[in-house]
Amino acid sequence: MAEEYLLQMSGICKSFAGVHALDHVNFHVRPGKVMCLAGENGCGKSTLVKIISGVYTRDEGKVVFEGNEITKITPAEATRLGIQVIYQDLSIFPNLTVMENLAINSEITDGRKIVNRKRWEETAKTALSKIDCKIDLYAKMGELSVADKQLVAICRALLFNAKLIIMDEPTTALTKREVEALFNTVRQLRDQGIAIMFISHKTEEIFEISDDVCIMRNGKNVFEGPTKDLTPRDFAYYMTGRELTDDHFIPKKISKEPVLKVEHLSAGRYYNDVSFELHKGEILGITGLLGSGRTELALSLFGLLKPTSGTINLRGRDVKIKSPMEAQKLKIGYVPEDRLTEGLCMAQSIADNIELASLKRISGNGFTLNHKKIFEDAATWVKKFSIATDDPHKYAQTLSGGNQQKIVLAKWLSNDLDVLILNGPTVGVDIGAKQDIHHLVHQLANDEGLAVIIISDDLSEVVENCSRVIVMKEGQIVGHLDADEVSEANILQIIH
Amino acid sequence: MNKAKMKRMTRRTEFYMTIVLILMIAIIGIVSGGNLFQASMIVTIFRAMVVDGMFALCSLLVMISGGFDLSFPAIAALAYSLSTTICVNNGWCETNPFMGFFLAVVIGAVLGMFNGWIIANFKLNTMIVTLGTQTLFTGVSMGLLQMKEITTTLPKSFNAVGVSYLFEVYNANGQRSTMTSTIILLIIMAAIVSFVLNKTMFGRSLYAIGGNEISAERAGYNVKRTKFILYTVVGALSGFVGMVRTCLAQQSIPKALVGKEMTIIPAVILGGASIFGGEGTVYGTMIAVGLITVVSNSMLLLGIGTQWQDFFNGLVILVGITVSAVQAKRQTKA
Amino acid sequence: MKNFAKNNRYTVMLFVWMAAVLLFFTITKASTLWQVSTWQGIVMQFPEFGVMTIGVMFPFITGNIDMSFVALGDFATLIMAKYLNAHWVDGTSTGSPMGYIMTGILIAMIICIAGGIINGLLITKLGIPAVMATIAMQLVWQGLSIALTNGNTVSGLPELYTEIGHSNVLGFIPYPLFIFIIMAVIAGLLLKFTVFGEKLYMCGTNVKACHYSAINTDRVITVSFVLCAVWSCVGALLMVSTMASAKADYGTSYVMRVILILVLAGVLPDGGTGKIHDVVLSVIIVQIIGSGVNMFSNLNAYYANLIWGALLLLVLILSTKMGADGFHFKKKKAAKAA
Repeated sequence: MAEEYLLQMSGICKSFAGVHALDHVNFHVRPGKVMCLAGENGCGKSTLVKIISGVYTRDEGKVVFEGNEITKITPAEATRLGIQVIYQDLSIFPNLTVMENLAINSEITDGRKIVNRKRWEETAKTALSKIDCKIDLYAKMGELSVADKQLVAICRALLFNAKLIIMDEPTTALTKREVEALFNTVRQLRDQGIAIMFISHKTEEIFEISDDVCIMRNGKNVFEGPTKDLTPRDFAYYMTGRELTDDHFIPKKISKEPVLKVEHLSAGRYYNDVSFELHKGEILGITGLLGSGRTELALSLFGLLKPTSGTINLRGRDVKIKSPMEAQKLKIGYVPEDRLTEGLCMAQSIADNIELASLKRISGNGFTLNHKKIFEDAATWVKKFSIATDDPHKYAQTLSGGNQQKIVLAKWLSNDLDVLILNGPTVGVDIGAKQDIHHLVHQLANDEGLAVIIISDDLSEVVENCSRVIVMKEGQIVGHLDADEVSEANILQIIH
Repeated sequence: MNKAKMKRMTRRTEFYMTIVLILMIAIIGIVSGGNLFQASMIVTIFRAMVVDGMFALCSLLVMISGGFDLSFPAIAALAYSLSTTICVNNGWCETNPFMGFFLAVVIGAVLGMFNGWIIANFKLNTMIVTLGTQTLFTGVSMGLLQMKEITTTLPKSFNAVGVSYLFEVYNANGQRSTMTSTIILLIIMAAIVSFVLNKTMFGRSLYAIGGNEISAERAGYNVKRTKFILYTVVGALSGFVGMVRTCLAQQSIPKALVGKEMTIIPAVILGGASIFGGEGTVYGTMIAVGLITVVSNSMLLLGIGTQWQDFFNGLVILVGITVSAVQAKRQTKA
Repeated sequence: MKNFAKNNRYTVMLFVWMAAVLLFFTITKASTLWQVSTWQGIVMQFPEFGVMTIGVMFPFITGNIDMSFVALGDFATLIMAKYLNAHWVDGTSTGSPMGYIMTGILIAMIICIAGGIINGLLITKLGIPAVMATIAMQLVWQGLSIALTNGNTVSGLPELYTEIGHSNVLGFIPYPLFIFIIMAVIAGLLLKFTVFGEKLYMCGTNVKACHYSAINTDRVITVSFVLCAVWSCVGALLMVSTMASAKADYGTSYVMRVILILVLAGVLPDGGTGKIHDVVLSVIIVQIIGSGVNMFSNLNAYYANLIWGALLLLVLILSTKMGADGFHFKKKKAAKAA
């Protein structure tokens, strides 16, 4: 290709109601390369993407695509140029078949009025053949795994002779193995000469997949250049604007007697014959691929999934946990995987969310409730966890992912707990907040003697925070690593 | 592949509904000592299906797009009473009913457009908007326009449409009954709606919007325009169905359709449509309407007083939606 | 005052609507509007559906709609009327009917509570969407009522009971109004000052998150339907008292009217929002319109429908423009989509 750059953007500015979302951003994409756009939540990444795809118009700046200056981008124009965006939600129709999902966009663009099954089928087959994937054309989209849905979305984008594919945080809902498969697809596309713009905030992923990186912070780009010029340390600095320290968890005082003892616990086809112990003051990691039974095990400990056999022993007493209400009485807390649907009432205040699990305590008599007390109590947690808000009356949805996660933590810690289960505690949380949360959990284990379980497939998180690790695979415990054995390499060896 | 196809088919609500309908007919047939299969009974059931079936198709279109329309009976009522009144006042439609139907369709379309304009432009909850327009349209027809009941003075051609028949049938005892020719209208409408839903991009766009509106917009559909057209079309169809009803009932009563939505919508759901949108077929809807019609028309045959008809209607719907809810729950678990 | 206006923009808007409606009728019919008898009529009429509206507010806040409340109330009061007919005949029976009336009310209450529980179980245990479950139950209850009475009126209730709808407490507060005030105050206290109230709003915003926060969400939703049934029962009892009879289809138009009032008051079926004073205001606005239309001898009662429908649509459209409080549903949708 004659041009060195496929897409050049320089001096891009965009403001909303006087607030600068983008402030003179410069940005280049090379053809046949993977470029990562990194940055914490709210740094302007998505605004930039929307300008490229024509959803927003820029206030200032120059855009050059394939050597031609583009004055005005509309969504249709972007498609014509060969720019395709794969949004985080993948823009699929769960109620339609794979075939329809693949063909419908090009049918609309061609302005068709009548449905021709044969043509649809051909279009769909062509799309799938582009990256050689085999998915049942007549399966309902909603019944596919996230990874397969993503492949369908990619195939659909390829139908438009895409030259630049923008993927918005594509790995969020994927397991480690699925991410690997996705990266292989990305490499395959790259080798076909397609430029990929990969949006992410996960350090390892960026170093693994990208050729170039552009890091944004507060609407400005603070770094742009080849990935190889960057070290993970620099990367973290550019992302957060502060130096991060290594912070390994070192347990101070682990109780002799286990607070929780699980023996031969099984639940149908989810997990089988699981036994482990948990002591006060330690952080136990449970890791494994998605579908390994790690989440279901946690749900059983929290009363959301009934085990079929085995025992749960808490503080020396056999217990049956039938509901979250009983789990709470037994001093077990659970921070779920999905903040949006399981963790928070987004359209209610921060204070109401923090006190959601402790209404009885606030009330005193279990019936009457004083709203003033809720806000007073919540204010202390806002301060303690340095949740970034000026007023706990504001809605939970006004906060960033990291701060929202702190609310969910506070919700449980405002209860008197013995065992805290954290499922994916830092999913969708940016690096700075991630470290805050880890630090907080360390303190809880060390200073308050809490027994903590961290369930995660983020291996660096597990290694950094857990004093012991259980590895699960296909519903069974396949490995048990003590403090001196915990390392990413060891865990990976057991998983694969 | 074939096995997968088989599995997909048996998991559909339509499949179960067909079985239930057949079982129901068999049971009632046996209990009534074969009386259900009398010629007069069969034509009565088909006659009863015409209006409900056509309304159900209107409701189905909206339901697939993820909407919930409470206003179609009010639209139909305003359309037929206004149209009939105009015809009576001008002495039209004594020989040819065209003008009456044409007026009703136009009035229905205008009212539907009003629905569509609000829903498409302001992105409001469709159930609440149509609750508002239902109240408004009722106010217009019975308050502002003071629509009166028209019975004996109904234009002759309307009566003619109502009594016209395809063929005569005779019971064993020689009793004569007729198969209404309006059944043809139902069949044509079902065929057209089915064609539109399956074979046109407009139809697929309804499924797409019902499945995921944001994705549909990103895919390049003009969601606003689609919704506007949808509600206009449904309005026009409702007006048309209203006229058919007037002809069949041989009278135009402005209040006759009050509360009709409460029996039509559950029937559509029973037939496999989802109140969350994106699901539903013409076949399933027709089966469900058939089931309800059979049950409510066989009370006498079973020796149950007609006063129990509403109760059994409700019971069928309750059991139906319970079974499909339990079914759906089991499927998500599996 | 300024603070109040800021925190209750929606209430202020409703006051403006009320003023506008009053102004309109003052201009057109000042002489009739500001007569004592007009206002006596207003306060006699709105309590029946007003109490029901407040009841339906409970499931609405949890994000569940109820369509069955009128049919359930009708059925319960029919049974009560049948019971009273069997045990008391004015003029021939001796003693006081008080005991029978109390038993009758108790029977009606028990039926309603059972109906509320059935709604709650259908929705929480079987996972049927609330609209569908309650429409089906509405058909069932109404069907039962028709089957029991052939659709006829059941009259001949004790005078002691039918008087309630027409007499005053302390000589000047009409009984229906008095009962409405009590039911509104109880509901307000429940919503604002109890743990249950807080749970209602939180469940309406995100049921799953509440369940994961150790809240018995199934119970909260079921209780909301039971409360709805109890309030509806009170409304139906008032209705029967004013009508001096019970019938399978009394108040069927109230279903839509009640939902209309709630939406007008910013209590949206999406859940999580709604304030009792907004609901009371909306009830009064709707009744003033209804009574106002009645003052024009040349207009029939259906004119009120026209104005109600138009007002609802207008408020809905305006709310999308101004994003007043009580209308966070758009934001919630956005959050869901993200």
